[in-house]
Amino acid sequence: MELQWELILFTTFIAWSAGLFGAQALAAAFGQAKKAQFASWIAAAVLLVVGGIAVFFHLKHWERIFNGFGNPTSGITQELIALLALAVVAIVYLVAVKRSEDGGSVPKWLAWIAVIVSAATVIVMAHSYMMVSRPAWDSFVWLAYVLGNSLVLGPATLAVIAAVTGEADFKQLGLWALIGALASLLLALAYAVSIQGVGAAFTDVGLYFDPTHPTKVMADANATLADQALLLWLGAVVVGAALPAVGALVAWRKNDATAWKLFGSGIIVCALIGAIALRVVFYNVGLSVFMFY
Amino acid sequence: MQNVIVTDLNRCVGCLACSVACKSANSVPIGSFWNKVLRIGPNPKTPGAQCPDVEMYFLPVGCQHCETPECVAVCPTGASHKLADGTVQIDKAKCIGCQFCVMACPYNVRYLNEEEGVIEKCTLCAQKISQGELPQCVEQCGGRARFFGDIEQGIENLEGPGEPGAFGKDKSYETMITTRVKLGDYVHPFAQNEVHKLPNVGNKPAFAYILRDRQWRGKE
Repeated sequence: MELQWELILFTTFIAWSAGLFGAQALAAAFGQAKKAQFASWIAAAVLLVVGGIAVFFHLKHWERIFNGFGNPTSGITQELIALLALAVVAIVYLVAVKRSEDGGSVPKWLAWIAVIVSAATVIVMAHSYMMVSRPAWDSFVWLAYVLGNSLVLGPATLAVIAAVTGEADFKQLGLWALIGALASLLLALAYAVSIQGVGAAFTDVGLYFDPTHPTKVMADANATLADQALLLWLGAVVVGAALPAVGALVAWRKNDATAWKLFGSGIIVCALIGAIALRVVFYNVGLSVFMFY
Repeated sequence: MQNVIVTDLNRCVGCLACSVACKSANSVPIGSFWNKVLRIGPNPKTPGAQCPDVEMYFLPVGCQHCETPECVAVCPTGASHKLADGTVQIDKAKCIGCQFCVMACPYNVRYLNEEEGVIEKCTLCAQKISQGELPQCVEQCGGRARFFGDIEQGIENLEGPGEPGAFGKDKSYETMITTRVKLGDYVHPFAQNEVHKLPNVGNKPAFAYILRDRQWRGKE
Protein backbone atom coordinates (compact mmCIF):
# COMPACT_ATOMS: atom_id res chain seq x y z
CA MET A 1 0.00 0.00 0.00
CA GLU A 2 1.02 3.66 -0.26
CA LEU A 3 3.61 4.93 2.16
CA GLN A 4 1.93 6.69 5.08
CA TRP A 5 4.77 9.02 6.02
CA GLU A 6 2.89 10.60 8.91
CA LEU A 7 2.43 7.19 10.50
CA ILE A 8 6.02 6.18 9.73
CA LEU A 9 7.21 9.26 11.65
CA PHE A 10 4.59 8.84 14.37
CA THR A 11 5.53 5.25 15.21
CA THR A 12 9.25 6.05 15.03
CA PHE A 13 9.10 9.10 17.27
CA ILE A 14 6.74 7.51 19.79
CA ALA A 15 9.00 4.45 20.01
CA TRP A 16 11.94 6.80 20.53
CA SER A 17 10.13 8.98 23.07
CA ALA A 18 8.78 6.06 25.10
CA GLY A 19 12.15 4.34 24.89
CA LEU A 20 13.94 7.39 26.25
CA PHE A 21 11.39 7.97 29.01
CA GLY A 22 11.45 4.28 29.92
CA ALA A 23 15.26 4.28 29.96
CA GLN A 24 15.51 7.33 32.20
CA ALA A 25 12.91 5.84 34.52
CA LEU A 26 14.86 2.57 34.66
CA ALA A 27 17.98 4.58 35.47
CA ALA A 28 16.06 6.42 38.20
CA ALA A 29 14.90 3.10 39.65
CA PHE A 30 18.55 2.14 40.09
CA GLY A 31 19.69 5.62 41.16
CA GLN A 32 21.56 6.22 37.91
CA ALA A 33 21.89 9.20 35.51
CA LYS A 34 20.59 11.76 38.00
CA LYS A 35 22.10 14.71 36.15
CA ALA A 36 20.45 13.66 32.93
CA GLN A 37 16.91 13.23 34.30
CA PHE A 38 15.49 16.67 33.51
CA ALA A 39 17.14 17.00 30.10
CA SER A 40 15.99 13.48 29.18
CA TRP A 41 12.46 14.30 30.21
CA ILE A 42 12.47 17.40 28.01
CA ALA A 43 13.90 15.41 25.08
CA ALA A 44 11.29 12.65 25.51
CA ALA A 45 8.52 15.25 25.67
CA VAL A 46 9.74 16.95 22.49
CA LEU A 47 9.86 13.58 20.70
CA LEU A 48 6.33 12.81 21.90
CA VAL A 49 5.08 16.15 20.59
CA VAL A 50 6.81 15.67 17.22
CA GLY A 51 5.21 12.22 16.91
CA GLY A 52 1.84 13.66 17.92
CA ILE A 53 2.07 16.43 15.33
CA ALA A 54 2.99 13.88 12.65
CA VAL A 55 -0.08 11.75 13.37
CA PHE A 56 -2.35 14.80 13.38
CA PHE A 57 -1.26 15.45 9.80
CA HIS A 58 -2.36 11.91 8.96
CA LEU A 59 -5.91 12.58 10.10
CA LYS A 60 -8.04 14.24 7.44
CA HIS A 61 -10.47 15.53 10.07
CA TRP A 62 -8.28 16.10 13.11
CA GLU A 63 -10.88 18.49 14.49
CA ARG A 64 -12.99 15.38 15.18
CA ILE A 65 -10.17 13.73 17.14
CA PHE A 66 -12.33 13.28 20.24
CA ASN A 67 -14.49 10.92 18.17
CA GLY A 68 -11.39 8.74 18.41
CA PHE A 69 -12.45 7.58 21.85
CA GLY A 70 -15.60 6.06 20.36
CA ASN A 71 -14.61 2.42 20.03
CA PRO A 72 -12.59 0.77 22.81
CA THR A 73 -11.81 -2.28 20.64
CA SER A 74 -10.10 -0.07 18.08
CA GLY A 75 -6.30 0.10 18.11
CA ILE A 76 -6.37 3.88 17.63
CA THR A 77 -8.63 4.38 20.65
CA GLN A 78 -6.29 2.19 22.69
CA GLU A 79 -3.31 4.18 21.38
CA LEU A 80 -4.93 7.45 22.42
CA ILE A 81 -5.62 6.10 25.90
CA ALA A 82 -2.05 4.75 26.22
CA LEU A 83 -0.55 8.06 25.09
CA LEU A 84 -2.71 9.98 27.55
CA ALA A 85 -1.64 7.61 30.34
CA LEU A 86 2.00 8.10 29.33
CA ALA A 87 1.56 11.89 29.38
CA VAL A 88 -0.05 11.80 32.84
CA VAL A 89 2.70 9.57 34.26
CA ALA A 90 5.34 11.77 32.62
CA ILE A 91 3.93 14.90 34.24
CA VAL A 92 3.83 13.26 37.67
CA TYR A 93 7.37 12.04 37.02
CA LEU A 94 8.57 15.56 36.17
CA VAL A 95 7.03 16.96 39.34
CA ALA A 96 8.80 14.26 41.36
CA VAL A 97 12.14 15.00 39.66
CA LYS A 98 11.86 18.74 40.28
CA ARG A 99 10.85 18.23 43.91
CA SER A 100 13.64 15.80 44.70
CA GLU A 101 16.54 17.11 46.77
CA ASP A 102 19.19 16.17 44.23
CA GLY A 103 17.03 17.20 41.26
CA GLY A 104 17.30 13.77 39.66
CA SER A 105 15.44 11.23 41.76
CA VAL A 106 11.93 9.84 41.79
CA PRO A 107 10.29 7.26 44.06
CA LYS A 108 11.03 3.73 42.89
CA TRP A 109 7.36 2.87 42.49
CA LEU A 110 6.92 5.83 40.15
CA ALA A 111 10.03 4.91 38.18
CA TRP A 112 8.75 1.37 37.61
CA ILE A 113 5.29 2.62 36.67
CA ALA A 114 6.97 4.88 34.09
CA VAL A 115 8.93 1.92 32.70
CA ILE A 116 5.78 -0.19 32.44
CA VAL A 117 3.64 2.56 30.88
CA SER A 118 6.39 3.37 28.36
CA ALA A 119 6.62 -0.26 27.27
CA ALA A 120 2.84 -0.60 27.21
CA THR A 121 2.48 2.48 25.00
CA VAL A 122 4.87 1.05 22.41
CA ILE A 123 3.18 -2.36 22.51
CA VAL A 124 -0.32 -0.88 22.16
CA MET A 125 0.83 1.38 19.31
CA ALA A 126 2.43 -1.48 17.39
CA HIS A 127 -0.51 -3.78 18.11
CA SER A 128 -2.91 -1.41 16.34
CA TYR A 129 -1.19 -2.31 13.05
CA MET A 130 -1.61 -6.04 13.50
CA MET A 131 -4.40 -6.75 11.03
CA VAL A 132 -5.33 -10.17 9.66
CA SER A 133 -6.01 -8.53 6.31
CA ARG A 134 -2.28 -7.71 5.94
CA PRO A 135 -0.24 -10.90 6.42
CA ALA A 136 3.09 -9.04 6.64
CA TRP A 137 1.75 -6.94 9.51
CA ASP A 138 -0.13 -9.58 11.44
CA SER A 139 2.79 -10.80 13.52
CA PHE A 140 3.77 -10.44 17.15
CA VAL A 141 7.35 -10.21 15.87
CA TRP A 142 6.39 -6.80 14.42
CA LEU A 143 5.25 -5.75 17.85
CA ALA A 144 8.52 -6.97 19.35
CA TYR A 145 10.48 -5.20 16.61
CA VAL A 146 8.95 -1.81 17.47
CA LEU A 147 9.73 -2.45 21.11
CA GLY A 148 13.28 -3.15 19.88
CA ASN A 149 13.34 0.35 18.38
CA SER A 150 12.67 1.71 21.85
CA LEU A 151 15.29 -0.57 23.38
CA VAL A 152 18.05 0.71 21.11
CA LEU A 153 17.01 4.37 20.81
CA GLY A 154 16.05 5.00 24.44
CA PRO A 155 19.17 3.88 26.33
CA ALA A 156 21.51 5.26 23.62
CA THR A 157 19.83 8.67 23.75
CA LEU A 158 19.98 8.62 27.55
CA ALA A 159 23.68 7.79 27.39
CA VAL A 160 24.32 10.72 25.02
CA ILE A 161 22.35 13.10 27.24
CA ALA A 162 24.18 11.76 30.30
CA ALA A 163 27.50 12.37 28.55
CA VAL A 164 26.48 15.92 27.63
CA THR A 165 25.18 16.74 31.11
CA GLY A 166 28.42 15.64 32.77
CA GLU A 167 27.54 12.21 34.06
CA ALA A 168 30.72 10.36 34.99
CA ASP A 169 29.63 6.75 35.48
CA PHE A 170 28.62 4.91 32.30
CA LYS A 171 29.05 1.37 33.52
CA GLN A 172 25.33 0.68 34.02
CA LEU A 173 24.01 3.03 31.32
CA GLY A 174 26.43 1.59 28.79
CA LEU A 175 25.44 -1.95 29.64
CA TRP A 176 21.74 -1.12 29.16
CA ALA A 177 22.48 0.55 25.83
CA LEU A 178 24.45 -2.51 24.72
CA ILE A 179 21.74 -4.93 25.80
CA GLY A 180 19.11 -2.74 24.09
CA ALA A 181 21.08 -2.62 20.85
CA LEU A 182 21.66 -6.39 20.86
CA ALA A 183 17.99 -7.04 21.57
CA SER A 184 17.05 -4.67 18.76
CA LEU A 185 19.37 -6.53 16.37
CA LEU A 186 17.83 -9.86 17.30
CA LEU A 187 14.28 -8.54 16.86
CA ALA A 188 15.10 -6.81 13.55
CA LEU A 189 16.52 -10.09 12.25
CA ALA A 190 13.45 -11.98 13.44
CA TYR A 191 11.01 -9.57 11.78
CA ALA A 192 13.02 -9.47 8.54
CA VAL A 193 12.85 -13.27 8.37
CA SER A 194 9.14 -13.12 9.19
CA ILE A 195 8.51 -10.66 6.33
CA GLN A 196 10.49 -12.73 3.83
CA GLY A 197 8.44 -15.79 4.65
CA VAL A 198 5.01 -14.24 4.25
CA GLY A 199 4.62 -14.79 0.49
CA ALA A 200 2.48 -17.92 0.78
CA ALA A 201 -0.15 -16.11 2.86
CA PHE A 202 -1.55 -14.13 -0.08
CA THR A 203 -4.38 -15.32 -2.30
CA ASP A 204 -3.29 -16.61 -5.69
CA VAL A 205 -5.86 -16.61 -8.48
CA GLY A 206 -3.41 -17.38 -11.27
CA LEU A 207 -3.56 -15.10 -14.29
CA TYR A 208 -5.98 -12.20 -13.91
CA PHE A 209 -6.74 -8.85 -15.48
CA ASP A 210 -8.33 -5.64 -14.25
CA PRO A 211 -10.21 -4.11 -17.21
CA THR A 212 -10.48 -0.75 -15.44
CA HIS A 213 -6.67 -0.56 -15.17
CA PRO A 214 -5.58 -2.21 -18.43
CA THR A 215 -1.92 -1.20 -18.15
CA LYS A 216 -1.53 -2.19 -14.50
CA VAL A 217 0.69 -5.20 -13.93
CA MET A 218 -0.61 -8.15 -11.95
CA ALA A 219 -0.05 -8.02 -8.20
CA ASP A 220 2.82 -10.31 -7.29
CA ALA A 221 3.54 -10.70 -3.61
CA ASN A 222 6.83 -12.54 -4.08
CA ALA A 223 8.14 -9.92 -6.53
CA THR A 224 7.17 -7.17 -4.08
CA LEU A 225 9.00 -8.94 -1.28
CA ALA A 226 12.07 -9.35 -3.50
CA ASP A 227 11.98 -5.64 -4.42
CA GLN A 228 12.15 -4.70 -0.76
CA ALA A 229 14.92 -7.11 0.20
CA LEU A 230 17.78 -4.58 -0.11
CA LEU A 231 16.02 -1.94 1.97
CA LEU A 232 15.00 -4.55 4.51
CA TRP A 233 18.33 -6.30 4.97
CA LEU A 234 20.78 -3.50 4.29
CA GLY A 235 18.73 -0.57 5.60
CA ALA A 236 16.81 -2.05 8.51
CA VAL A 237 19.02 -4.92 9.62
CA VAL A 238 22.63 -3.96 8.79
CA VAL A 239 22.50 -0.16 9.12
CA GLY A 240 19.54 0.02 11.49
CA ALA A 241 20.41 -2.78 13.89
CA ALA A 242 23.85 -4.33 13.33
CA LEU A 243 25.81 -1.05 13.24
CA PRO A 244 24.14 0.25 16.45
CA ALA A 245 25.03 -3.05 18.15
CA VAL A 246 28.68 -2.68 17.07
CA GLY A 247 28.68 0.98 18.13
CA ALA A 248 27.22 0.12 21.52
CA LEU A 249 29.81 -2.61 22.02
CA VAL A 250 32.68 -0.23 21.23
CA ALA A 251 31.30 2.57 23.44
CA TRP A 252 30.60 0.12 26.28
CA ARG A 253 34.20 -1.11 26.14
CA LYS A 254 35.59 2.46 26.12
CA ASN A 255 33.18 3.36 28.93
CA ASP A 256 33.59 7.15 28.94
CA ALA A 257 31.58 10.26 28.10
CA THR A 258 33.47 11.06 24.90
CA ALA A 259 32.83 7.60 23.50
CA TRP A 260 29.14 7.76 24.32
CA LYS A 261 28.77 11.22 22.78
CA LEU A 262 30.31 9.97 19.54
CA PHE A 263 29.07 6.40 19.30
CA GLY A 264 25.77 7.14 21.02
CA SER A 265 24.96 9.76 18.39
CA GLY A 266 25.94 7.30 15.67
CA ILE A 267 23.72 4.62 17.20
CA ILE A 268 20.77 7.02 17.22
CA VAL A 269 21.27 8.06 13.58
CA CYS A 270 21.67 4.46 12.38
CA ALA A 271 18.74 3.19 14.44
CA LEU A 272 16.52 5.97 13.07
CA ILE A 273 17.55 5.14 9.50
CA GLY A 274 16.77 1.50 10.20
CA ALA A 275 13.44 2.23 11.86
CA ILE A 276 12.30 4.35 8.92
CA ALA A 277 13.65 1.90 6.33
CA LEU A 278 11.76 -0.96 7.94
CA ARG A 279 8.54 1.06 8.08
CA VAL A 280 8.89 1.86 4.37
CA VAL A 281 9.23 -1.89 3.75
CA PHE A 282 6.32 -2.45 6.13
CA TYR A 283 3.98 -0.39 3.96
CA ASN A 284 5.36 -1.65 0.65
CA VAL A 285 4.87 -5.30 1.59
CA GLY A 286 1.63 -4.53 3.46
CA LEU A 287 -0.47 -6.07 0.70
CA SER A 288 -3.92 -7.28 1.56
CA VAL A 289 -4.78 -10.97 1.50
CA PHE A 290 -6.86 -10.41 -1.64
CA MET A 291 -4.65 -7.95 -3.50
CA PHE A 292 -6.29 -7.69 -6.91
CA TYR A 293 -9.01 -5.03 -6.51
CA MET B 1 -31.04 -10.17 8.67
CA GLN B 2 -28.10 -10.04 6.30
CA ASN B 3 -28.61 -8.31 2.98
CA VAL B 4 -26.22 -9.55 0.32
CA ILE B 5 -25.60 -9.80 -3.38
CA VAL B 6 -24.97 -13.25 -4.83
CA THR B 7 -23.51 -13.34 -8.33
CA ASP B 8 -23.89 -16.25 -10.71
CA LEU B 9 -20.46 -16.13 -12.35
CA ASN B 10 -21.57 -18.51 -15.11
CA ARG B 11 -24.00 -15.78 -16.17
CA CYS B 12 -21.59 -12.84 -15.80
CA VAL B 13 -20.27 -11.72 -19.21
CA GLY B 14 -17.84 -9.07 -17.88
CA CYS B 15 -19.69 -6.16 -19.45
CA LEU B 16 -18.79 -3.84 -16.51
CA ALA B 17 -22.35 -2.48 -16.51
CA CYS B 18 -22.43 -3.00 -12.73
CA SER B 19 -19.30 -0.87 -12.26
CA VAL B 20 -20.58 1.91 -14.51
CA ALA B 21 -24.09 1.84 -13.03
CA CYS B 22 -22.65 2.04 -9.53
CA LYS B 23 -20.45 5.01 -10.35
CA SER B 24 -23.37 6.81 -11.93
CA ALA B 25 -25.83 6.10 -9.12
CA ASN B 26 -23.44 6.92 -6.30
CA SER B 27 -21.22 9.66 -7.79
CA VAL B 28 -18.09 7.62 -7.19
CA PRO B 29 -15.03 9.81 -7.91
CA ILE B 30 -12.97 9.25 -11.07
CA GLY B 31 -10.33 6.60 -10.42
CA SER B 32 -12.24 5.04 -7.53
CA PHE B 33 -14.69 2.15 -7.62
CA TRP B 34 -17.29 0.69 -5.29
CA ASN B 35 -17.62 -2.30 -7.55
CA LYS B 36 -15.03 -3.55 -9.98
CA VAL B 37 -15.07 -6.54 -12.33
CA LEU B 38 -11.88 -8.60 -12.49
CA ARG B 39 -11.17 -11.19 -15.14
CA ILE B 40 -9.80 -14.30 -13.46
CA GLY B 41 -7.89 -16.32 -16.03
CA PRO B 42 -7.43 -17.70 -18.55
CA ASN B 43 -5.91 -20.35 -16.30
CA PRO B 44 -5.14 -24.00 -17.15
CA LYS B 45 -8.07 -26.31 -16.45
CA THR B 46 -5.62 -28.84 -15.06
CA PRO B 47 -2.02 -28.27 -13.94
CA GLY B 48 0.22 -27.85 -16.97
CA ALA B 49 -2.65 -27.73 -19.48
CA GLN B 50 -2.18 -25.57 -22.59
CA CYS B 51 -4.61 -23.51 -24.67
CA PRO B 52 -7.38 -24.35 -25.55
CA ASP B 53 -7.68 -26.31 -22.30
CA VAL B 54 -8.02 -23.11 -20.27
CA GLU B 55 -10.90 -21.44 -18.45
CA MET B 56 -11.79 -18.05 -17.05
CA TYR B 57 -14.55 -16.18 -15.33
CA PHE B 58 -15.37 -12.62 -14.39
CA LEU B 59 -15.49 -11.66 -10.72
CA PRO B 60 -17.34 -8.51 -9.60
CA VAL B 61 -15.67 -7.35 -6.36
CA GLY B 62 -16.84 -4.74 -3.88
CA CYS B 63 -17.55 -4.47 -0.19
CA GLN B 64 -18.62 -7.92 0.97
CA HIS B 65 -20.69 -6.48 3.87
CA CYS B 66 -19.00 -8.98 6.18
CA GLU B 67 -20.70 -10.63 9.14
CA THR B 68 -17.82 -9.67 11.47
CA PRO B 69 -16.21 -6.79 9.59
CA GLU B 70 -12.62 -5.90 10.44
CA CYS B 71 -13.22 -2.34 9.23
CA VAL B 72 -15.82 -1.85 11.96
CA ALA B 73 -13.53 -3.40 14.61
CA VAL B 74 -10.66 -0.99 13.89
CA CYS B 75 -12.71 2.18 13.38
CA PRO B 76 -11.92 4.40 16.39
CA THR B 77 -14.98 6.60 16.04
CA GLY B 78 -17.79 4.18 15.28
CA ALA B 79 -18.14 5.82 11.85
CA SER B 80 -17.94 2.38 10.26
CA HIS B 81 -20.80 0.38 11.65
CA LYS B 82 -23.04 -2.55 10.88
CA LEU B 83 -26.76 -1.96 10.50
CA ALA B 84 -29.60 -4.24 11.48
CA ASP B 85 -30.06 -5.14 7.80
CA GLY B 86 -26.53 -6.59 7.81
CA THR B 87 -24.96 -3.90 5.66
CA VAL B 88 -21.76 -2.12 6.69
CA GLN B 89 -22.12 1.65 6.45
CA ILE B 90 -19.97 4.72 7.08
CA ASP B 91 -21.21 7.76 8.99
CA LYS B 92 -19.14 10.39 7.21
CA ALA B 93 -19.83 12.97 9.91
CA LYS B 94 -17.97 10.81 12.45
CA CYS B 95 -15.08 9.75 10.21
CA ILE B 96 -11.70 11.30 11.06
CA GLY B 97 -10.03 9.97 7.91
CA CYS B 98 -7.48 7.82 9.75
CA GLN B 99 -7.75 5.17 7.00
CA PHE B 100 -7.29 2.24 9.37
CA CYS B 101 -10.46 0.69 7.94
CA VAL B 102 -8.85 0.89 4.50
CA MET B 103 -5.88 -1.05 5.85
CA ALA B 104 -8.08 -3.54 7.73
CA CYS B 105 -10.25 -4.48 4.76
CA PRO B 106 -8.95 -7.74 3.22
CA TYR B 107 -10.38 -6.78 -0.18
CA ASN B 108 -9.04 -3.23 -0.60
CA VAL B 109 -12.51 -1.95 -1.44
CA ARG B 110 -12.36 1.19 0.71
CA TYR B 111 -10.68 4.40 -0.32
CA LEU B 112 -10.13 7.92 0.94
CA ASN B 113 -12.30 10.52 -0.77
CA GLU B 114 -9.62 13.23 -0.98
CA GLU B 115 -12.14 16.01 -1.48
CA GLU B 116 -14.26 15.19 1.57
CA GLY B 117 -11.43 13.71 3.67
CA VAL B 118 -13.51 10.68 4.60
CA ILE B 119 -13.66 7.02 3.64
CA GLU B 120 -16.13 5.66 1.12
CA LYS B 121 -17.18 2.26 -0.19
CA CYS B 122 -20.24 0.39 -1.44
CA THR B 123 -23.35 1.15 0.61
CA LEU B 124 -25.33 -1.55 -1.18
CA CYS B 125 -27.24 1.43 -2.55
CA ALA B 126 -28.74 2.20 0.86
CA GLN B 127 -30.72 5.05 -0.71
CA LYS B 128 -32.43 2.58 -3.04
CA ILE B 129 -32.87 -0.55 -0.93
CA SER B 130 -34.46 1.53 1.84
CA GLN B 131 -37.22 2.26 -0.68
CA GLY B 132 -37.61 -1.36 -1.72
CA GLU B 133 -35.53 -1.02 -4.87
CA LEU B 134 -32.63 -3.18 -5.96
CA PRO B 135 -29.02 -1.97 -5.79
CA GLN B 136 -28.09 -0.26 -9.05
CA CYS B 137 -25.48 -2.93 -9.94
CA VAL B 138 -28.15 -5.63 -9.59
CA GLU B 139 -30.73 -3.64 -11.49
CA GLN B 140 -28.46 -2.99 -14.45
CA CYS B 141 -26.53 -6.25 -14.58
CA GLY B 142 -26.16 -7.06 -18.29
CA GLY B 143 -26.25 -10.81 -17.71
CA ARG B 144 -28.93 -10.82 -14.98
CA ALA B 145 -26.26 -12.51 -12.91
CA ARG B 146 -26.65 -10.55 -9.69
CA PHE B 147 -29.33 -11.16 -7.08
CA PHE B 148 -30.05 -9.18 -3.93
CA GLY B 149 -31.83 -9.86 -0.67
CA ASP B 150 -31.66 -11.29 2.83
CA ILE B 151 -29.48 -14.39 2.67
CA GLU B 152 -31.08 -15.65 5.88
CA GLN B 153 -34.29 -16.16 3.90
CA GLY B 154 -32.44 -18.59 1.63
CA ILE B 155 -30.25 -18.02 -1.39
CA GLU B 156 -33.06 -19.11 -3.70
CA ASN B 157 -35.20 -16.19 -2.55
CA LEU B 158 -32.74 -13.46 -3.57
CA GLU B 159 -34.14 -11.25 -6.29
CA GLY B 160 -32.97 -9.86 -9.59
CA PRO B 161 -34.69 -7.60 -12.10
CA GLY B 162 -37.57 -9.17 -14.04
CA GLU B 163 -37.35 -9.90 -17.74
CA PRO B 164 -39.11 -7.40 -20.04
CA GLY B 165 -41.41 -10.18 -21.24
CA ALA B 166 -42.90 -10.32 -17.77
CA PHE B 167 -43.92 -6.65 -17.75
CA GLY B 168 -47.12 -7.28 -19.68
CA LYS B 169 -48.68 -4.25 -21.34
CA ASP B 170 -47.53 -1.86 -18.65
CA LYS B 171 -44.03 -0.81 -19.72
CA SER B 172 -43.73 1.95 -17.13
CA TYR B 173 -40.60 2.61 -15.10
CA GLU B 174 -42.51 1.67 -11.97
CA THR B 175 -43.33 -1.75 -13.43
CA MET B 176 -39.78 -2.23 -14.59
CA ILE B 177 -38.24 -1.65 -11.18
CA THR B 178 -40.81 -3.66 -9.24
CA THR B 179 -40.91 -6.73 -11.46
CA ARG B 180 -38.48 -9.30 -10.09
CA VAL B 181 -37.22 -12.81 -10.65
CA LYS B 182 -36.04 -15.10 -7.86
CA LEU B 183 -32.59 -16.64 -8.02
CA GLY B 184 -33.99 -20.09 -7.34
CA ASP B 185 -36.40 -19.83 -10.26
CA TYR B 186 -34.02 -18.22 -12.69
CA VAL B 187 -30.49 -19.57 -12.61
CA HIS B 188 -29.33 -23.04 -13.57
CA PRO B 189 -29.17 -25.57 -10.73
CA PHE B 190 -26.07 -25.49 -8.58
CA ALA B 191 -24.67 -27.51 -5.70
CA GLN B 192 -23.74 -26.09 -2.33
CA ASN B 193 -20.04 -26.64 -3.06
CA GLU B 194 -20.43 -24.41 -6.11
CA VAL B 195 -21.18 -21.40 -3.90
CA HIS B 196 -17.96 -19.58 -3.08
CA LYS B 197 -16.81 -16.61 -1.04
CA LEU B 198 -13.76 -14.37 -1.13
CA PRO B 199 -10.96 -15.30 1.31
CA ASN B 200 -12.18 -15.24 4.90
CA VAL B 201 -9.62 -14.10 7.46
CA GLY B 202 -12.13 -13.98 10.29
CA ASN B 203 -14.32 -11.27 8.75
CA LYS B 204 -16.84 -13.75 7.28
CA PRO B 205 -17.72 -12.12 3.94
CA ALA B 206 -21.48 -12.18 3.41
CA PHE B 207 -21.53 -11.92 -0.39
CA ALA B 208 -21.26 -15.11 -2.39
CA TYR B 209 -20.52 -16.28 -5.93
CA ILE B 210 -21.95 -19.26 -7.79
CA LEU B 211 -19.46 -20.94 -10.13
CA ARG B 212 -20.26 -24.24 -11.84
CA ASP B 213 -18.00 -26.50 -13.90
CA ARG B 214 -14.95 -24.31 -13.35
CA GLN B 215 -12.32 -24.15 -10.68
CA TRP B 216 -12.72 -21.35 -8.13
CA ARG B 217 -9.34 -19.63 -7.95
CA GLY B 218 -7.91 -18.43 -4.67
CA LYS B 219 -8.61 -19.21 -1.07
CA GLU B 220 -12.00 -18.98 0.55
